[in-house]
Amino acid sequence: MTANSLLQVSNLHVEFTTYGGIVHAVRGADFHVERGETLAIVGESGCGKSVAVQSVLGLIPIPPGRITQGEAILDGHQILGHQTIEGKDIRGNRVGMIFQDPMTSLNPTMTIGNQIAEPLKLHRKMSGAQAKKRAIELLEMTKIPEAAKRASQYPFEFSGGMLQRAMIAMAIACEPDLLIADEPTTALDVTIQAQILELIKDLQQEVGMGLILITHDLGVVAGVADRVVVMYAGEILESGTADEIFFAPSHPYTLGLLSAMPTNRRDVVQTLMPIPGSPPDLFSPPEGCGYAARCPQAMEACVANRPTQFTVSDSHFSKCWLHHEACEHRVLEVQQV
Amino acid sequence: MPRYIGMRLLQGIFTVWFIATATFWVMHSIPGDPLESEKAMSPEIRANLEAKYGLDKNEFIQYWIFLGNMVRGDFGWSFEHENRRVNDIIAEQFPVSATLGILAIVFAGLGGVLWGALTALYRNKWPDVLIIILVILGISVPSFVFATVGQLGIVTLNKIAGIDVPVAGWGTVWHMLIPALVLGLGTMAFLTRLMRTSMLEIVNADYIRTARSKGVPIAQIFSRHQLRNAILPVLTVLGPSIAGITTGGFVVENVFGIPGLGKYFVTAVQQSDYGVIMGTTVFYGAFLVLMVIIVDLLYAVVDPRVRLNK
Amino acid sequence: MTELSFRPVETAQDVEKTSRPSLSYWQDAWLRLVANKRAMTSLFVIIFLILFAYLGPLVWRADHTEQHLDKTSQAPWVNRNAILIAEEAEWEDVVVADPTGTHQAPMSVEVIGEARTTSVGLKWDAVPNAAGYRIYRHILEPKAGFPLGLPIGETEDRTHVSFQDRMDIQQKTYWYSVAAVDEDGKDFEEFTSVEVRPRLYITVGEALRLGYITDASKVEPGDTVLLDWHPLGTDYLGRDMLARLMKGAQVSLSIGIVAPLLFIIIGILIGSVAGFFGGAVDSALMRFTDFVIALPFLLFMILFMVWFGIEAGGSGIPAMVVALVLLSWPGVARLVRGEVLQIREHGYVEASRLLGGSNSWLIGRHMIPNTMGVVLVSFTFAVPATIFTEAFLSFIGMGVVPPTPSWGAMCNDGIRTMEKTPHELLFPALFISITVLAFNLLGDGLRDALDARLRSRE
Ligand SMILES: Nc1ncnc2c1ncn2[C@@H]1O[C@H](COP(=O)(O)OP(=O)(O)OP(=O)(O)O)[C@@H](O)[C@H]1O
Ligand code: SF4
Ligand SMILES: [Mg+2]
Repeated sequence: MTANSLLQVSNLHVEFTTYGGIVHAVRGADFHVERGETLAIVGESGCGKSVAVQSVLGLIPIPPGRITQGEAILDGHQILGHQTIEGKDIRGNRVGMIFQDPMTSLNPTMTIGNQIAEPLKLHRKMSGAQAKKRAIELLEMTKIPEAAKRASQYPFEFSGGMLQRAMIAMAIACEPDLLIADEPTTALDVTIQAQILELIKDLQQEVGMGLILITHDLGVVAGVADRVVVMYAGEILESGTADEIFFAPSHPYTLGLLSAMPTNRRDVVQTLMPIPGSPPDLFSPPEGCGYAARCPQAMEACVANRPTQFTVSDSHFSKCWLHHEACEHRVLEVQQV
Repeated sequence: MPRYIGMRLLQGIFTVWFIATATFWVMHSIPGDPLESEKAMSPEIRANLEAKYGLDKNEFIQYWIFLGNMVRGDFGWSFEHENRRVNDIIAEQFPVSATLGILAIVFAGLGGVLWGALTALYRNKWPDVLIIILVILGISVPSFVFATVGQLGIVTLNKIAGIDVPVAGWGTVWHMLIPALVLGLGTMAFLTRLMRTSMLEIVNADYIRTARSKGVPIAQIFSRHQLRNAILPVLTVLGPSIAGITTGGFVVENVFGIPGLGKYFVTAVQQSDYGVIMGTTVFYGAFLVLMVIIVDLLYAVVDPRVRLNK
Repeated sequence: MTELSFRPVETAQDVEKTSRPSLSYWQDAWLRLVANKRAMTSLFVIIFLILFAYLGPLVWRADHTEQHLDKTSQAPWVNRNAILIAEEAEWEDVVVADPTGTHQAPMSVEVIGEARTTSVGLKWDAVPNAAGYRIYRHILEPKAGFPLGLPIGETEDRTHVSFQDRMDIQQKTYWYSVAAVDEDGKDFEEFTSVEVRPRLYITVGEALRLGYITDASKVEPGDTVLLDWHPLGTDYLGRDMLARLMKGAQVSLSIGIVAPLLFIIIGILIGSVAGFFGGAVDSALMRFTDFVIALPFLLFMILFMVWFGIEAGGSGIPAMVVALVLLSWPGVARLVRGEVLQIREHGYVEASRLLGGSNSWLIGRHMIPNTMGVVLVSFTFAVPATIFTEAFLSFIGMGVVPPTPSWGAMCNDGIRTMEKTPHELLFPALFISITVLAFNLLGDGLRDALDARLRSRE
C-alpha cells in the first residue's frame, strides 16, 4: 500500500435492515487500488463483494442499507457516505462502473446512444450532437458493428454481450481514473466472456485507469489481475499479488477455492472439489473465524476468537490463526494429484 | 406502426360487428315487442305498422337488413319517440356521455400519475400519508356517494361564497368538471396506488442504479429514467379501466341530472325500442373499442419494445 | 491472547443442515399472510360481516319489511323515553276581544302549555281587519317574503286565535307560522313564526295498542315507557335500518361472492383449455374472449337483467348473478391461460406427459393447482368489484327489486333524505365501503403472501 493510492478503502462496515433482522453484509473490509493496476476481488456468491464496492460509490439503497464505519479515500479525498459523494463529479466521471446483469442494468425506454451520451453531457458539458458523436465513437471502441445505427436502438434490440459492451462504453465515456467491473461476464456465455475481458483489459491499457474486477471465478482472475483480495462472509481473508495467491496461498479458504477450480492440465485427472457446507448466516455472524464451520484445519482458538491480520510478505496478508507464532500447524500445501 | 394501427382498426371493426350481433339477438330474446305499448290497436293497424318497421319479416332477414343499414350508418326510426330518427337521438345524447367519459379518464390518468409520483417521492412523509388516505377512500367509497356528497358540497359552497356553480344539468364547462371528477375518482385512486407501487419498485431497479453510477442528479433520474418506466403498468390498466369508468357514468348522469345515454337506454330496453337499443350499444361499443386502441397506441409511444416490434 | 488453544477440532458435521426447515408453498404463504396485520384485520372484518348477515337476523329479530309510518326517517340517537299521558283533553278555543291597531300579522305566537308529540296548542293575538287565520308548519325557518306552501289549518273568525296541531308530530324542531287572511281568503303579506320542539309523549290508549303496557290501571300519567328501539334508526318508510342492513348484507354478499365464484370457475375452464391445447382451440377461444371483453358492460347488464326477466315477487338476484357471470369470465380466462402457458414451459408437465399422463389428468393434477394462487387473488379482487356493480345497478334501479333490500338500493333510498337524515345514506354506504376495503386489503395481503412475482403485475 502506498501513501497515494488511487482508492484506499479501510475498515468498511455495511449493514442492511430486513424483516429477518440485520444483515451484516460487510464486516471490516480493507483494500486499495493503484493507478493503472488491476485488483481482483474474489469470493463466493453473497459474500458482500458488490455491496462493498457499491457502498464506496454511495450506490446501495439507504434505507435498508447503512454504512456504519470506515473510510474511502479517492486520490486523497474522503468520499464515503451518500452526502459526501452526491454531486461531486466523481460517479461516472472519475469512477466508472459496470454491473453484473446487463439485461436489467440499462434503461429499457431510452436509446443506447442517449444513455451513453448522458454522462458526457453532464460531466463534459457536451452539446447533444457532440455527445451523440462521441457515443458512437465509444461504441466503435467497444467493437460494436454499425455503431451509428446501434446508437439509436433500444436495449431490447441488443444481445447480452452487446449490452455489456454498451455498458462498458458508458462507464469509460468520461475516461475515468478507476473502472469498477462487478462480475462483467457472469451473465454471458463463455466465448463472449473472454471477448469482454479482453476488451476491458485493452481499454484499461489504452486509457491507463485502475481497475477493480469482481468475480467469483478464479480462472478469470489468473489471466488479468495484478493483485487479488479474497472475500468471505463480509470479510477480506487474504490479499496479495496474483502470484502469491495462486502459488503460495496462505489461507485455508483460498486453498479450498483453488482446489475447487478445474485445472487446465490434460495430464492430471480433473478433480473438482467443492468446499462442503455453506457460508455462515450473516444475520448473526460467528464470533470467531467466519470460515471455522467449514475449515478442515479449524482449531479451538478459531471458534471464539476472530483472527487478526498476519503479514506473510510485504504485499501478502492473511487472517488465519495458523500464522500465529504460537501455532505449530501451517496452512496445508496445495494438493496436486 | 401504420400496419399495426391498421390491424387494430380492422380488429375493432370485427369487434363492433360482434357487439351489434350480440345486441341484436339478446334484444330480440327479450319478451315483448315495440308495438305492445299503451293503447290497444286494431289488428290492421298493427299489421301495417309491422310492415312499415319490417317487424313482420323473419328475424334472420331483419338481422341482415339491420346489418346493411348499420354499415350505411343508419339505425332507423325510434318506436317510442315519434318521428325521431335514432341517429338524431344519438347525436344529441352520445356526445354528452362521451365528453363526460373522456374527461373522467383524463382526470383519472393524469391524477393517478401525478399523485402516485408524489407519494413515491414523499414516501412515508405527510403528503404520502394524506394521499394514501384519499386513495383508500377513493377505492372503497361508491361513486354515487361521491356524487351526492359532491353535489351537496357545491350547494353549500354556492351558499357560502355566493357563487353559482351549477349542480345539475349540462351545458357549460362547470357542468362537466365536477361530474367528471367524481366519475374519475375511483379509477384515479386505483391508478395512484398502482403508480406508487410502480415508482417504488423502479427506485430499486438496476438501471436506476446505473444512472446513479453515471452521476445523474436525482431530479433528472426522476424525470428521465423513473417516470417513463413507471407509467407503463399504469397505461396497461388504463384500457380496461375505461370500461369501468363508463359504467359509473350512468350513475353520475343519474345523480347530476345529465342528459346522457343512460336514461334513454334504460327506458329503451324496457320499451323494446329496438332502434335506440341497437344504436346506443353499437355507438357505445365502438367508442370503447376506439378508446382502448388509443390507449394501446399511447402505450406503444411510451414503450419502444411495443412500438418497434409491431 | 495467551490462552489461545491451537488444538485441531473436528469440523462440525452438520454444516449441511443449517438451512431452515422447508415449508410447502401454501404453508409458507399462510404464515406470511398471518404475519400481515392489515390482511388479518380484513379477514376478521369479512368474517364479522358474514356473521352479521346470516346470524344477525337470529339475534336482532325486527322485521325488515314492516313499515312504521309514525316514525319515518328516525335517527338512531333519538330519545325513546316517552311520557305517558291520559287522552288529550278536549280542545277549547281561545276567544279574544276585537283588536285595534294597524299591525298586519300577530304580534306574537305562543305555545299553550307544553309542546308534545301528541299535540301542540298555539295561540296568538288578533289582527285587525282579518277575516281569519292560516296556520303553517315547517321544519326549516320560513323567511319573510317566501311562499309558505300549504297550511295545516285555518280559523274563520278574527277573534278565534288558537289552534291545536295533532298531525303526526315527531321529535323535531318545527316552525309554526300564523298569517292573517282577508275577506277573499288571501294571506296578508306578513306572518309571525314560533320555534317549537315537541317532547315525546304517548297516550295510554296508544301505549296499550302497541303493547308497551298491558294494564292501564297499573300506570299513571307521568310514568315513562321505553319505545321500540331502532339501533340504527329507521328509513323513509319507518322500517328498521339494522334489520334491513342485515338482509341487505345477505343480498350484497351473496351476489358478491356467488357470482365471482361461478365466473371464476368458467374462466378457469376456458382459460386452461385454451392454454393447454393451444393452436386453433386457443385462438378461437381467445378471439371469443376478446369479443366478450369488448361488450359494453353496463348496457349488457341491463339488457340481460331485462331479458332474464324478474318473475312476479322475485328479488332479481338470480338474474343479476347470471348476467354477471356471462359478462365477467373473460378476465379470469385470460389470466389462467397466461399462467398455464407459463407452466407448460416448465419441464415437469412435459415429464408427466412422457410418463403417460392423460390430458385431463394433467390439467387437473398440474395446471389447476399451480394456477390456484393467481385465481385466489383475482377472486378476492372480484368480490369488491362485484359488490360495487350490484350497488351501481340497484342504485340506478336496474338491480334487485324493491322491497328486497341491498346496500346499493338502500343508498338510493337514502339519498332522497340525505340532507335531513344522513344516517339513511351513511350506514349502507359505510357497509359497502368497509366490505370493499376489507376484500381489497385481503387481496393485497394474499397477493404479497402467495407470490412476490405477482406484485409487479397489475
Ligand atoms: N438491498 C439489500 N437488502 C438486504 N440485504 C442485502 C441487500 N443487498 C445485499 N444484501 C445482502 O448482502 C449480502 C452480500 O450481497 P452482495 O450482493 O454484495 O453479494 P456478492 O458477493 O456480490 O454476491 P454475487 O456474487 O451473487 O453477486 C447478501 O447476503 C445479501 O443478502
Ligand atoms: S482461523 Fe482457523 S478456522 Fe479460520 S481459516 Fe484459519 S484455521 Fe481455519
Ligand atoms: Mg454481486
